Amino acid sequence: MLNFLLLRLAPGDAASVLAGEAGSATPEYMAQLRQRFGLDQPVLVQLALYMKNMVALDLGFSFRYNMPVLTLILNRLGPTLLLMGVTLVLSVGAGVTLGILAASRAGSWRDTLISILALVSYATPLFWIGLMLVVVFSLKLDWLPTSGMETVAAFHEGWSRVLDIARHLILPAVTLSLFYMALYTRLMRAAMLEQAGMDYVTTARAKGVSEGRITLAHVVRNAVLPVVTVAGVQLGGLLGGSIVVESVFAWPGLGFLAFQALFARDFNLLLGIFFLSASLVVVVNLGVDLLYTFLDPRIQV
Amino acid sequence: MRRARFVRVALLAALTGVLCLPMTAPAQKRGGTLVMLVQPEPPTLASYISTSGPIGQVATKVYEGLLEYDFNLKPIPSLAESWKVSADGKTITFVLQKGVRFHDGKPFTSADVKFSVLEVLKKVHPRGAATFREVTEIDTPDEHTVVFKLTTPAPYLMMALSGYESPMLPKHLFEGSDIKTSKYANAPVGTGPFKFVEWQRGQFMRFDRNPDYWRKGRPYLDRIVARFIADSATRTAAMEKGEAHMGGFAAIPWSDVKALAKLPQFETTTRGYEMSSPIVQLDFNTRRPPFDNLKVRQAVAYAINRKFVIDNVWFGWGKPATGPISSNFAPLGFYTNEVKSYNVPNGVEVANKLLDEAGLKRGPDGVRAEIVHDQTPYGEEWQRYGEYVQQALAEIGIKATLRYEDVPTWLKRLYTDYDFQLSSNWIQGLADPVIGVHRLYHSKQIRPGTVFVNETGWSSPKADELMDQATVEVNPRKRAALYKELQKIVVEGSPLVWVHELQFVTVYNKQFKDVIVSPLGLYASFDRAHSDK
Repeated sequence: MLNFLLLRLAPGDAASVLAGEAGSATPEYMAQLRQRFGLDQPVLVQLALYMKNMVALDLGFSFRYNMPVLTLILNRLGPTLLLMGVTLVLSVGAGVTLGILAASRAGSWRDTLISILALVSYATPLFWIGLMLVVVFSLKLDWLPTSGMETVAAFHEGWSRVLDIARHLILPAVTLSLFYMALYTRLMRAAMLEQAGMDYVTTARAKGVSEGRITLAHVVRNAVLPVVTVAGVQLGGLLGGSIVVESVFAWPGLGFLAFQALFARDFNLLLGIFFLSASLVVVVNLGVDLLYTFLDPRIQV
Repeated sequence: MRRARFVRVALLAALTGVLCLPMTAPAQKRGGTLVMLVQPEPPTLASYISTSGPIGQVATKVYEGLLEYDFNLKPIPSLAESWKVSADGKTITFVLQKGVRFHDGKPFTSADVKFSVLEVLKKVHPRGAATFREVTEIDTPDEHTVVFKLTTPAPYLMMALSGYESPMLPKHLFEGSDIKTSKYANAPVGTGPFKFVEWQRGQFMRFDRNPDYWRKGRPYLDRIVARFIADSATRTAAMEKGEAHMGGFAAIPWSDVKALAKLPQFETTTRGYEMSSPIVQLDFNTRRPPFDNLKVRQAVAYAINRKFVIDNVWFGWGKPATGPISSNFAPLGFYTNEVKSYNVPNGVEVANKLLDEAGLKRGPDGVRAEIVHDQTPYGEEWQRYGEYVQQALAEIGIKATLRYEDVPTWLKRLYTDYDFQLSSNWIQGLADPVIGVHRLYHSKQIRPGTVFVNETGWSSPKADELMDQATVEVNPRKRAALYKELQKIVVEGSPLVWVHELQFVTVYNKQFKDVIVSPLGLYASFDRAHSDK
């Protein structure tokens, strides 16, 4: 409801955008559009209609695309989940590994190198990393495609299609991962160093447990908790898509759809995306809480 | 002896073979997939509801019109094989091609034309109500004859019958349902050379060759794919890598066209936009000071250096504009440059003099007036253009603050609230001045809430009269004379500054030939395009 009212504050409406794209329009045409979109009704009537539809879990119809909102969103959900899933695995995996490597020799050249790498990839704008990867890996080396989700001229089927999609996935996933990886590296390193000074580590060492086992079985298991927390929160954000990466690599995700919907004042679609993202965040947070109990048995469900 | 004779016969046979070859073998190779970059992704494929450019670039491969046009802007046959306009201009008879079928196998007949014009274009098309206003009745004496009955002559109508402007739809699929929410908006069925296959939103659209196309032997390409890539740098990279073959309408930004043109595999052309004819403008709000004063408006017109804008903002593409009608209309005789010229070497000097006369004195800081300058929210170039305008105005003592908003906000400001002083803009002259030009200057076109009409608030009874006459004048020479007169009056009144004729550049891979073959350019059906690879 708050979303709905906030969106109505934006000046202009979908009818003027459509007519604007058309390059010209008669007044009869504009009036016809507004009537069709229900924009000629008072805001409160529009709100009441919206609430009624939401209770029935009906996300409505996008007049701009001439399609139900749900179909539009579901079309984009697959590619979004694919990109975000791979990104999460890559970034958490690489981030945790680098964090461990850095913390286990804190202060050494290896630590410094990893910290610089993390800092640089965190500070560089995403679109620039993306474009540089395109220039290097697709234009210069000719290894990977520049953009899209599959080779459109070829229309592969079966396994060759899966392989084709995987090749297209590499650059956007790496671009997006670099940013998050940096974050997890820093976080993991700090947590590791903090845990390493704890009493239980001294106890374990006194018991004669080897350094490697202390790190892997005790320190890492405790240090990974904050990473999981942050990753859980970020996963919610990731599901909303990444406008920058999606637009640079022409990846058909939710983020760019929402972006387009905002600029076209396609409120039904935008509200639908908000609703879906919010629901997913709730589900993901529940999942993260359950994961806690597994990692740290002291936490009770 | 026998041997010699054999040789002779063989030679003769070989010779006949060689001679026959060019006649029997097709001149164009069949096959190939053309990947075109379309930007932005169109919301639907309903070209009968929206004339938006991206929709036009893809829907025209599926839907055709009654006519096509040659580079002299003369109509040539398409779905109509011939036509006749009566002497009084009130009856137009079309004879349709025979043997034309829609992609679902049903024949295309006069009933489809009648339905498309009266039930669809006249009712739901953004410009259709204006284009077909005078068409009150359509007779269909037989399956292949269509007779338009007009209340008053409408010479512009013959310019608006292309597959882009007035697509012909299958009556049997649209009839009886709500046209505005028809499912065929996302899965078109037409008569064109390519059939719609699928649309993966956010990615691509696929069109396959129509083997039953009525122009026998065409199209030559197997497939056309339209790709959507939001980032301009990625689009350029995709062209360079050969993942895409063509981009027009600024899909490749002007700044990148130069770089791509240097590569051996690309061809660039500015042809194929003769029926769009966009002009870059600066629109005044003539209701508010300081631009309610004619001298101030003229001063701004003098202060803009057209050549500088073309060379530095649009990388050399463009042509100084002289008035409301683009020089693309020259083949029809409508264009003239014999009007008051604001494009003079000592423009700044003249401008300062005019402002002095207008009573706008420079303050102690050299500033005569402060204004807000709105910029067209259509991308990079427009921001650079805005910055130039700011500097040019500073030279004549007008201090401009720049404002850049998103499209809906800007449209509302200009066309509903009239809450602006000076805004950049670009408007297409379209297929005929009645459709594309009158809307900016006629007093009846001051219509709050309707976009891209007269928002400057300027009008003149004399100009209104000339436009009204030109709308119904069937004699092309007399019509041309009316437009020349109109240009003089409007340019004198300076309701806006005509800076330059915007030139779009189409970049395409040289392996494709005959891609841009008419003034419709990317809005043509591509039935003649072929690949030599």
